[in-house]
Amino acid sequence: MTIRVVTDSTSDLPEELARRWDITVLPCYVVEGDVTYKDGVDLTHDQFYSRLTSESRLPTTAQPSAADFRLVYEELLGQGHQVISIHVSGKLSGTLNSAEQAKASLAEAAPIEIIDSQLASIPLGLVAVGAAQQAEHAGSYQQLAEKMRQDLPLTHGFFLLDTLEYLQKGGRIGRAQAFLGSMLGVKPILTIRDGEAHPVERPRSWDRGVRRLLELVREMGPVRQLAVIYSTDAQRAAVLREQLSDLIPADQLVSARFGPTLGTYLGPNALGVAFTREGG
Amino acid sequence: MAVLHGDDLTQAFSAAARCLERYRDTINALNVFPVPDGDTGTNMLLTMRAAMEKLTDTANITAGEAADMLAEGSFWGARGNSGVILSQFFKGFAEALHGKEVCRGADLADSFSRASDAAYASVGQSVEGTMLTVIRDLAQATQEKWAGGEENEPLDLWVAAFLEAQQALYRTPSQLAVLREAGVVDAGGMGMLVIMGSALCHLTGEPESLLDQAVVAAQISPDQTIPTRIDTDYLDSTQDVQWGYCIQFVVHGEGLSLDGVREHYTAMTSSAVVVGDQRLIRVHIHATDPGPPLSYGASMGQLSHLEIQNMNEQNLGFVAEQGSRAIASAPVGVVAVTPGDGLALLFQEAGCAGVVSGGQTMNPSVQALLEAADTAGASDVILLPNNKNVVAAAQQASAANGHIHVIPSRSVPQGIAAVLCFNPEESLERNLDVMGQAIDTVVSMEVTQAVRSSSINGVPVREGQYIGLREGELASVGDSPEAVLISLFAQVGLSPDAVVAVYWGADASQPAAEDLGRFLEEENPGMQFDLIYGGQPHYHYLASVE
Repeated sequence: MTIRVVTDSTSDLPEELARRWDITVLPCYVVEGDVTYKDGVDLTHDQFYSRLTSESRLPTTAQPSAADFRLVYEELLGQGHQVISIHVSGKLSGTLNSAEQAKASLAEAAPIEIIDSQLASIPLGLVAVGAAQQAEHAGSYQQLAEKMRQDLPLTHGFFLLDTLEYLQKGGRIGRAQAFLGSMLGVKPILTIRDGEAHPVERPRSWDRGVRRLLELVREMGPVRQLAVIYSTDAQRAAVLREQLSDLIPADQLVSARFGPTLGTYLGPNALGVAFTREGG
Repeated sequence: MAVLHGDDLTQAFSAAARCLERYRDTINALNVFPVPDGDTGTNMLLTMRAAMEKLTDTANITAGEAADMLAEGSFWGARGNSGVILSQFFKGFAEALHGKEVCRGADLADSFSRASDAAYASVGQSVEGTMLTVIRDLAQATQEKWAGGEENEPLDLWVAAFLEAQQALYRTPSQLAVLREAGVVDAGGMGMLVIMGSALCHLTGEPESLLDQAVVAAQISPDQTIPTRIDTDYLDSTQDVQWGYCIQFVVHGEGLSLDGVREHYTAMTSSAVVVGDQRLIRVHIHATDPGPPLSYGASMGQLSHLEIQNMNEQNLGFVAEQGSRAIASAPVGVVAVTPGDGLALLFQEAGCAGVVSGGQTMNPSVQALLEAADTAGASDVILLPNNKNVVAAAQQASAANGHIHVIPSRSVPQGIAAVLCFNPEESLERNLDVMGQAIDTVVSMEVTQAVRSSSINGVPVREGQYIGLREGELASVGDSPEAVLISLFAQVGLSPDAVVAVYWGADASQPAAEDLGRFLEEENPGMQFDLIYGGQPHYHYLASVE
């Protein structure tokens, strides 16, 4: 009996990484006007961003349904697996509700552990990969879930925005909102902590923002997982990866792209870093 | 979503139950009517949980069945005035959906209307400015949206209901005097907003932070203060009132007359909410002596779910709890002294809790600074004088009130550099440290007009000429404010990684400022340049180089 990891597409997990670690990624839905797409399945990132920047109305995203979850759970359980289902923060999305509903609709003792990562985007992706990496030697799925929950504070993500336009259009991010100040051309850095977006700093130029991103990673000490993520500017992401290449072997440095869930609000040209610290 | 399925309703209201838990204390803290005993949030939460209790196996459930179970569960678990009204909301909701496979737009409009009717019918004497009003207004808005007919999917209607609930909540202090006196919106109404909003967020996949914003918006009074707690004087005054007992029970009988029972209790007690049917009646009342109403209940049949609370005790506990809370809603806030409307807006938008008008020729009084700090809604206030002539007054304010801390910003650009480093989630010490360092990272410049001919630092200046100051010292003289500023920049030298900001004042012309901005951007490609309306008097331009 093996443990399998399930996450959702808000994790922005690159496809090859998910495949390599046998992680099932449930697609969220992207709603644009009357049309609903499955994130990453029938809407590519390029298509998404080209529409995001050309259409006046922001697309909305919706979580996978309980039925979607049930299908996945049933299939994995049917193959004799145990399931660790780890998802986007419950404060940002109802995905966990769908997962819980699906679990509740299955047999009472179904071996499924559902974890609120209190994260979103590639920080969540790193946690999912970490779970899959540890699955083999974890003992029971409950023990693995317990370990994952304990280790959640080790994973961080910092996102640098080029524009506040999409964040304001979307009216999101709660407490970070008042802090932004759009009259000055600040390039805010946000983080996800305790399940919500929080402001970190407000550099007054892009170059200073990138410099701070690099410092924020290095301030935290040695890392065992590291990812660079971007919305539209692959070149800037490549430069950032280069600047971080001394922290981790090149083949372990994850390169990811913001999907619709966060991309809608971070907008074009956003960059981010995510990492899991050593320890635990 | 063209229709709502049973599962959608279940999940939406299950999200509402969870969200009420998050908001329980907030709602409790608003509770002044009918009795200030701080339990509205708790009662609505417990009722909502009870409503969900029946909904365990929800696979393939119809919308009608889901609504029936919500109504059934909440009837038995209803707690307090607000809880019973909430249970009636679900009763009406369920009546409209009974036997229906799915909930369409028309059904939803109908069910909110029936919910409103049932809620009103349950109360002996309805009072406006309460959760009843919020329910009625949201139901009406839904009906109107439905009758409008253009976009009538359930979610569109739900959005309309939610938006109206927000407006209705905002209106409650204008409808109910006791809320005005206490300086709050209605607690039960807030509970309804939370339920409608969290359910909506769930249905649309929006995060609940959207609801959080709506809640804040619904509480903002015209003077822009956010009364999230009850006025202390009002709260103290409530201790002199005899509140009596809160009595709740269910009567099990045969052929009971619901209306008759409600009339009877309305006449003999206060806050009567009586709901049910011929066999089961749930009673919620307030009375100074629990004896007679209980006897009357027992005369009709068996009593169950009996609960009696001494509301004077609850009130005392609530007053003590509220009083012990810090008045401030935030630990640290920033107050800035600003010359000019544009700058005031800029500082507010950058995160200042308060701004005081003042500057070079209009120094604010120490009293004005103390008052601004008092109303900033923070336990500790960081004060930015933003002018060298105001620093002394700021320090006097700090000497008078130990919770005021001065960062001695001697210019507006220094103040902006400081406020941009403010992080409301960091400690006071950390903020003082980081903001204090920030003021030394900018070079401040000012351009103004000489009011008389003179010689400054050996440089002759004619009346009417423009003079440029760098860090307060005369550094340039010229015949146009723009030329003077450009020469100031040339003296400092602009490197590609510099950040330059120009704030044009009330005496500067917008086209000239924009021409200047284009010129500077062309001359310095790659440089971060911000041109902002400051509105300050006397100074055509304030500028900074970082």
